[in-house]
Amino acid sequence: MYISLNWLKNFVKIPAKIKPTTIAEELSTHTVEVENLIKQSAQFDKIVVGQVLELEKHPNADRLHLVVVDVKDTKLKIVCGANNLKLGQKVPVSLIGAHLPTGLEIQESIIRGEKSQGMICAEDELGLGRDHQGILVLNDRARVGETFAHYLEANDIILEIDNKSLSNRPDLLNHYGLAREISAIFDLPLKTYDDFLKLDEGVLSSASNKLAVKIEASDLCLRYSAIKIDNIEIKESPDWLKNSLIAVNQRPVNNIVDLTNYVMLECGQPLHAFDAQKIKKIIVRRAHHQETIKTLDDQERVLTNKDLVISSDLAPLAIAGLIGGQDSEITNTTQTIILEAANFLASNIRQTSQRLGLRTEASVRFEKSLDPELTLIALKRFLTLLKKVSPQVKIASTLFDYYPQPPQAINIDLDLQWLQDKIGQEIPRKTVINNLQRLGFIINSEQENILKVTVPSWRATKDVHIPEDLVEEVLRLYGYGQIKSQLPVLELKLPEINQKRLLERKIKNILVWSSALNEAYNYSFVGETQLKKLKIDFSQYLKLVNPLSSIHNLLRQSLVPGLINNIKINQFQETNFGFFELESVFFRAPGNQLKNLESTATLPYQEKHLGIILTGTDDLFFRLKGIVDNLLKNIMTPQTNCEFLPATNIPNWAQKDLAVKIVVRGKEIGLLALVLPEINKNFNLKKPVAIAEINFDLLAQLVFSLPGSDYRGIPKYPAVRRDISFVVNSEILYNDLRGEIIDFHPLLVNVELFDVYQGDKLELGKKSLAFHLSYQSSDRTLRAVEVDQVQKNLIQHLNQKFSIKLRDF
Amino acid sequence: MKDKLDQLRQEFLQDLQQVHNQTTLHELELKFLSRKGALSKMLHSLKELDLSARQQFGKLANNLKIELQNKFTEKEATLNINQTHSQNIDPTLPGFNFPQGHFNPITLMQNKLEDLFTSLGFMVLDGPELESEYFNFTALNIPASHPARDMQDTFYIDYPNEHQEYDLLMRTQTSPMQIRAMQKYGAPLRAIIPGRCFRNEATDSRHEHTFYQLEGIVIDKKINFAHLKSFLEIVGQEMFGAKTKLRMRPKFFPFVEPGNNGEYTCFLCQGKGCRVCKYTGWLEIVGAGLVHPRVLEAGGIDPKIYSGLAFGFGLNRLAMLKYNIDDVRLFNSGDLRFLEQF
Repeated sequence: MYISLNWLKNFVKIPAKIKPTTIAEELSTHTVEVENLIKQSAQFDKIVVGQVLELEKHPNADRLHLVVVDVKDTKLKIVCGANNLKLGQKVPVSLIGAHLPTGLEIQESIIRGEKSQGMICAEDELGLGRDHQGILVLNDRARVGETFAHYLEANDIILEIDNKSLSNRPDLLNHYGLAREISAIFDLPLKTYDDFLKLDEGVLSSASNKLAVKIEASDLCLRYSAIKIDNIEIKESPDWLKNSLIAVNQRPVNNIVDLTNYVMLECGQPLHAFDAQKIKKIIVRRAHHQETIKTLDDQERVLTNKDLVISSDLAPLAIAGLIGGQDSEITNTTQTIILEAANFLASNIRQTSQRLGLRTEASVRFEKSLDPELTLIALKRFLTLLKKVSPQVKIASTLFDYYPQPPQAINIDLDLQWLQDKIGQEIPRKTVINNLQRLGFIINSEQENILKVTVPSWRATKDVHIPEDLVEEVLRLYGYGQIKSQLPVLELKLPEINQKRLLERKIKNILVWSSALNEAYNYSFVGETQLKKLKIDFSQYLKLVNPLSSIHNLLRQSLVPGLINNIKINQFQETNFGFFELESVFFRAPGNQLKNLESTATLPYQEKHLGIILTGTDDLFFRLKGIVDNLLKNIMTPQTNCEFLPATNIPNWAQKDLAVKIVVRGKEIGLLALVLPEINKNFNLKKPVAIAEINFDLLAQLVFSLPGSDYRGIPKYPAVRRDISFVVNSEILYNDLRGEIIDFHPLLVNVELFDVYQGDKLELGKKSLAFHLSYQSSDRTLRAVEVDQVQKNLIQHLNQKFSIKLRDF
Repeated sequence: MKDKLDQLRQEFLQDLQQVHNQTTLHELELKFLSRKGALSKMLHSLKELDLSARQQFGKLANNLKIELQNKFTEKEATLNINQTHSQNIDPTLPGFNFPQGHFNPITLMQNKLEDLFTSLGFMVLDGPELESEYFNFTALNIPASHPARDMQDTFYIDYPNEHQEYDLLMRTQTSPMQIRAMQKYGAPLRAIIPGRCFRNEATDSRHEHTFYQLEGIVIDKKINFAHLKSFLEIVGQEMFGAKTKLRMRPKFFPFVEPGNNGEYTCFLCQGKGCRVCKYTGWLEIVGAGLVHPRVLEAGGIDPKIYSGLAFGFGLNRLAMLKYNIDDVRLFNSGDLRFLEQF
């Protein structure tokens, strides 16, 4: 929204010492943020008034003239093509360096061999109209050398305010409302708006014809005021009206439309003027299902029975509160109008506006709950101005005013002690009263410590209801900067520690610090193309109703797609690297968080996953196993038994023989696998990739349920180490061999693999494994013979079970 | 016997003089000090003497052994020193390369603030990122028809309820967790809620549909505006330095009354005005206010007994300011050239 400072000055006299920047700053500090201050003159920078001193034909071009213009300080030679040039004319001259609204920058140039030091401008080149018939000839007021902005009196300053920051302040979407705030902030007198409603006595009752209006949807229409006006002559608006609209970025149309806009921008009440010619009767009703209307923006709009329309006895004339229809549009031949000033139910206007995807100046105001008192005020203001613009107009009906239930005034008891408790500091009683009064609140009576406050109608629709709302009013005018900060004195209490959050942090630290991984934050949304490339079935994925794009339209159930992308975008800079992410995934199944407080319905199931991805040259799968093993031991205990067992439920992107489930303390918590080469190809990945995905919630449960582990005394007796190396069929798994060895005898306390070989020197289908075995007793030093015997038995056992063949060193 | 020992000593010393490199040193060691060397043999031969001679010469032999070994070590050390010098190693060569990993800067920012608030006795809470309209809007005093819902463009989930309405969404703010926390813990309450939030808006260098917030709430008896101001000052000083000043302005948030914007003096120009603060001297960082009584009620807390304060800010924005990052999309980009700087 644009607010003109000149317009504001009609209502509040702002002393010169209060600069526009101060106004913007104070409005921002006390009311609403002013995003920009725009100087209207800025668009006419380096354009001045000049006078034509000499005029002759261009020697080398028939249609061009050589002109000398006096711009007071100097005389400029200009080549000009216009044919309405005359000696002595005063004209707008763009000097070198000027930027015209058309985008043209004026430079010194040579045109057909003659120097040109500027440009004499036509109306369209200055952004003032569409005329390009010839140069703009200025009137007698023009003084040679003055800036063009000065000549135009374009001395306005425009305040830009974001509509979104006014969603609770319907009273501020207009000039008078902001003037009221400025008067309150600077404690300046505000002119009453009644002063601007100067209608001669009896004008409103000068006609006796009644307007036929029927309000059918009384629940959606809170007030409907209308009047018929005759003798209308449609023409261009006078300059003052056009300029006011142009200053705030509104395009002038014709006198009637411009006046409706002007009144809305001034007092906030949208007005609508219908061409009355075809209208016998006005009916305010719900639209019929599938009813259509062609609106002023040339769109055919289909309505539902939830939408409110203003209808004639035949067809809809307008979508209430949003936009008019073409059938009753004001045209150049309009002679009679019906002027509407209404108040519609805000939520309904908003609903229709959202459904149609249409926001208009009117709907933006209506949806914020306008003060119903405004309708008559706006009507009267329109008539006052119309009389001024077109004195010949005649009132052709009595005033229709449907207003069955004027809202009751809101009264609030404001306890001053309570106010002080809310603020944390005493604000003098006088100041409190004064602040409220300046904002239009009425203090009815002052008992000892309680003020009885009546909320003015323009603040009573939605904004101010409860004493807390008054705290803000008092405080914002008093100034937030005046309140001394003070930490509360609170009871010392041990806060519940968020163990899960601490675990997350620990995991991140380990992965970054000890495994040199990088932390990714990937989007929670994935797309079908991406999932197809991974051969992931997404039929059960939750979808967004309104995604930004098809690559982000599903809610992820796995961190894999994002991690793959992390590799993809970095693979040209790096070779050996990895990422991890610890974030939420979402499922189409009931979860455990309540959806609301009225039912037992729950939100969809959500859990956190930890995903790790590695790419590079060698041993990816085993490097990743090492990273996961190290991580799990670090967050649990060094003794934690992490197992990587052949997986049964293998995702389609994983290499079947290099996919293992991650099992901790007997519980499966995730999967670790090498990505299939064809998947790599789908994503154009250069190097092999290994991925682990762990259910963080399950992992956390395991961590938090870890049994306490006692310290075990340092062994008193030395361990005896023996090595064993054997050849075995390749398909026999290390895991099984290890298990068999460690469980073989109580004296065997540790088994450590130190070599694996598979290759030329062995038969096909065989592998060789070598282990360090540690034997130890807690009550004696073991003798060699004893150990040798156990080892011998072990070898025999392994031989029987796995047909091992011992190797010699 | 004594002569033999002396002779051995002489021989050793003579040979020692000839030692100039590792090879000759090793030869010397083999000849005299190894297991099968001359000294060993000599010591071995002591066994053949009678007890008193053994005692007498044993001691001498032992002393000799210590002497020879010391001399050998000395020589070895000088050789090593000379050798190092002669090879001319460049000590400025890099050490072994230990690869490094990197945190996302949002994590660093979040950790810092979590530590600050836990030190003040706050809980750190998590909430669901896929939320219901009820917790994200209705309970926060934003009824269905309120235009304030437009302040936050929302992603809705295609999972309609039994009335065929879309009532699930990606949370637009961390505030729904205020209600869940009040319901779970009651009053008094002191908590922060960091987390991922979503807004349905096209991305560019200043807009991102996925971003991070950190929200704080304090509910107790007689919590007031001066308290709110004080917490905001602490945050500013922690993030931007002890001299940071706070300026508060009115701003409408339906779940607080009064509702405010908090701005801090620009840490780059100390309030003088620069590019980062758009020449205002102030950085708009935080939204805050006193908890609206209807929100307390939705949380099951009696607003006649308790009052509360709440504040929240974007971690992306904080990180962008702190590290002078010019494109908000970098946080979710996974670009190593970005992450490697943290």
